[in-house]
Amino acid sequence: MGPSMAANLVNILMGGVFHAAILFLVAAGLQVVFGVQRIFNLACGSFYALGAYVGVSAVQAFTGAGGPPALFILPLALAGLLVGVVGVVVERGLLSFVYDRDETFQLLLTFALVLMLEDVIRLTWGTAPYSTSALYLTYGQINLLGATVPVYNLIVIGASLAIALGIGWLLTRTVFGRIIRAAADNREMAEALGVDMRWVYAKVFTLGTALGTLGGALVIPATAAMSEMGIELIVEAFAVVVIGGLGSMRGAFVGALVVGIFRAVAIAVYPELEMLIIYLVVIAVLVLRPRGLFGRVAV
Amino acid sequence: METSRREFLKGVGVAAAGSAVGFPAVVSAQARKGVPSDPVKIGVIPIRAGVAAPVGAAGQRGVEWWAERVNKAGGILGRKVELVFEEESNPKDTLERFRKLALQTKADVIVGGISTAVGLALGPAAEELKMLWLSWDGTTQKGVEETMPKPTYAFRSVDNEVEAIGGALLTAKYFKGVKTIAGINNDYSYGHDCWETYQAVLKRYTPDVKSVLELFPKLGVTDFTSHIAAIQQAKPDLLMTSFWSGDTTILLKQAAAVGLFKTMKACFTTGGGVHDSLKKEFTPEGLILGYNSMYFNYAGASPLLKQFVREYKAKYGEYPPYECDHGYFTVESYKAGVEKAYKTAGEWPSKEQVAKALEGIEVESLSGKRSWRADHVQMCNFFQGITTHKNAFDFVTIDPVEVLPTTRIMKPTTGTKLLDWINATFPLKG
Repeated sequence: MGPSMAANLVNILMGGVFHAAILFLVAAGLQVVFGVQRIFNLACGSFYALGAYVGVSAVQAFTGAGGPPALFILPLALAGLLVGVVGVVVERGLLSFVYDRDETFQLLLTFALVLMLEDVIRLTWGTAPYSTSALYLTYGQINLLGATVPVYNLIVIGASLAIALGIGWLLTRTVFGRIIRAAADNREMAEALGVDMRWVYAKVFTLGTALGTLGGALVIPATAAMSEMGIELIVEAFAVVVIGGLGSMRGAFVGALVVGIFRAVAIAVYPELEMLIIYLVVIAVLVLRPRGLFGRVAV
Repeated sequence: METSRREFLKGVGVAAAGSAVGFPAVVSAQARKGVPSDPVKIGVIPIRAGVAAPVGAAGQRGVEWWAERVNKAGGILGRKVELVFEEESNPKDTLERFRKLALQTKADVIVGGISTAVGLALGPAAEELKMLWLSWDGTTQKGVEETMPKPTYAFRSVDNEVEAIGGALLTAKYFKGVKTIAGINNDYSYGHDCWETYQAVLKRYTPDVKSVLELFPKLGVTDFTSHIAAIQQAKPDLLMTSFWSGDTTILLKQAAAVGLFKTMKACFTTGGGVHDSLKKEFTPEGLILGYNSMYFNYAGASPLLKQFVREYKAKYGEYPPYECDHGYFTVESYKAGVEKAYKTAGEWPSKEQVAKALEGIEVESLSGKRSWRADHVQMCNFFQGITTHKNAFDFVTIDPVEVLPTTRIMKPTTGTKLLDWINATFPLKG
């Protein structure tokens, strides 16, 4: 394997993993909410877009106030996390009224949210692409086997990985995690044992929202915010969820990697397959393992 | 003078069009023989949502600026101008709004239309409703073939692939020795047509030029890291793209992060559409960049363009992109058409008379002289050049600037076969 071939491989893999890192955060938000609340939250892509816009505004305010550009990631991540509190508002103010209704209502409600949030974004930030300009390049590049890799991409990948580990720890090692898992397994039993489900739902939905908004905020230096950016991502997030298995965190992680890397390889080898290949994987999973790689048997 | 509610509302409507309110007396004093005293209704259909929303906003701003000036100067033949807005979205809904403007609002003319998919729907509707329609950026082309060879009421934009032809001419002139090329274009008709046309023209200059990679991400993609990895692997001498929206900025930024254009030339045929987001930090010098039909910083700018750029900057905090000029040109040419037709008709002309008058008419637009060809196609200059950092802005501009008239880079009639014409025309002599 010559040096340029190694470089090409690194480039392709890094492209795929970077895409997967963002996709994971959005899909994880989708999963945690579905796992516990049995709501398929179409608006997770919109939270991602919201996080992106708020992230740009926060960074602009930060640098505008004389903050050192090298530290821009702090206000960015903080804003991404904080705007996650819209999750509480949405859950308590809207979703809490439809838990007992048909799933169609829930789906319609989250779809309504998609449309409303897109308009909120347009009213607040306008329609022109919105970006943190060249801050993306602040951290420079490193050379990896002859390939130039932007350090910021590595930060995003690292952050996403840390969040994945953090969620794993939260779910398996903490009391709150045990309650979440209990609620996901059997809501009535958990309630009978004294768990206040309203509280759990509010927290879980906020966690799901914050994952999406943080994902949006983290990706934004590398790209530009556009009001419909959530729609583009949600389609891929669906694929991730189907491949990984509905409601599974591990599934979100592996599914995101599969989608990201398959997409990157397809673009490099046979670009016409860019989207098709992802759906071929989805179809294969649906045929061979309908509940997804890590999904549980339907109850 | 007592203002009735109805008149007041009309005034508000006119004010919304950006005009000076409060001089209705002046208007009636100027009214001419055979000219109604009520306002001329101009239907405007800008895109408001999605990737093309900034383009729609620019076209609308061009029209609003025009309306303000025209109303201050007394309107068209003394009639005030009133703008009635409807949104351009998908072809089906836009068609309904177009019909509403024609039948319910009873607009005198409808301007706008950016998407060619929408243009393909509006063209036949304009003919059917006998409604004068002057398109901004939308054509009635299917691929590179014209679907409406002899329209009466529909006037459409320049051929979709013109900027790609210009880009190829500049590539041949400035980047001699380019042997391998890659293309990244949006996955719809415009992207495919531009890529094919670009290659066909470039081959007339460099017959052995070879395409090594074709990428067609769909419109609205916001992550090109994997595409860039594929381009690095293919190692072309040059990358061509007809991106025109926010994806241009994203591509340039992500390319800069891996130093893509340190070793590769590039031709951005239409990137000028988002020119002020192409910051110097990530947009290198030495790329070909096209601004389509208006370049805000042109050294030969008319006083009109200079004033427009100044006032646009003051009002919106940014520098105007080319779509402003499409908007301005359509309404300014309508005004000229009405005035010309009035001279022979002796009264406010019918839509048919205005349409006839528009054929071949030339007016002073923001970008300079622009005209309608006899077969209802826009004629104008295209501005392309080489990116430079030597300016007072934080984004790139172009120097030198090549002014490419559509008489040179567009096939002469809508019936001409594009490839035949390219083979017969290029390389240009002299």
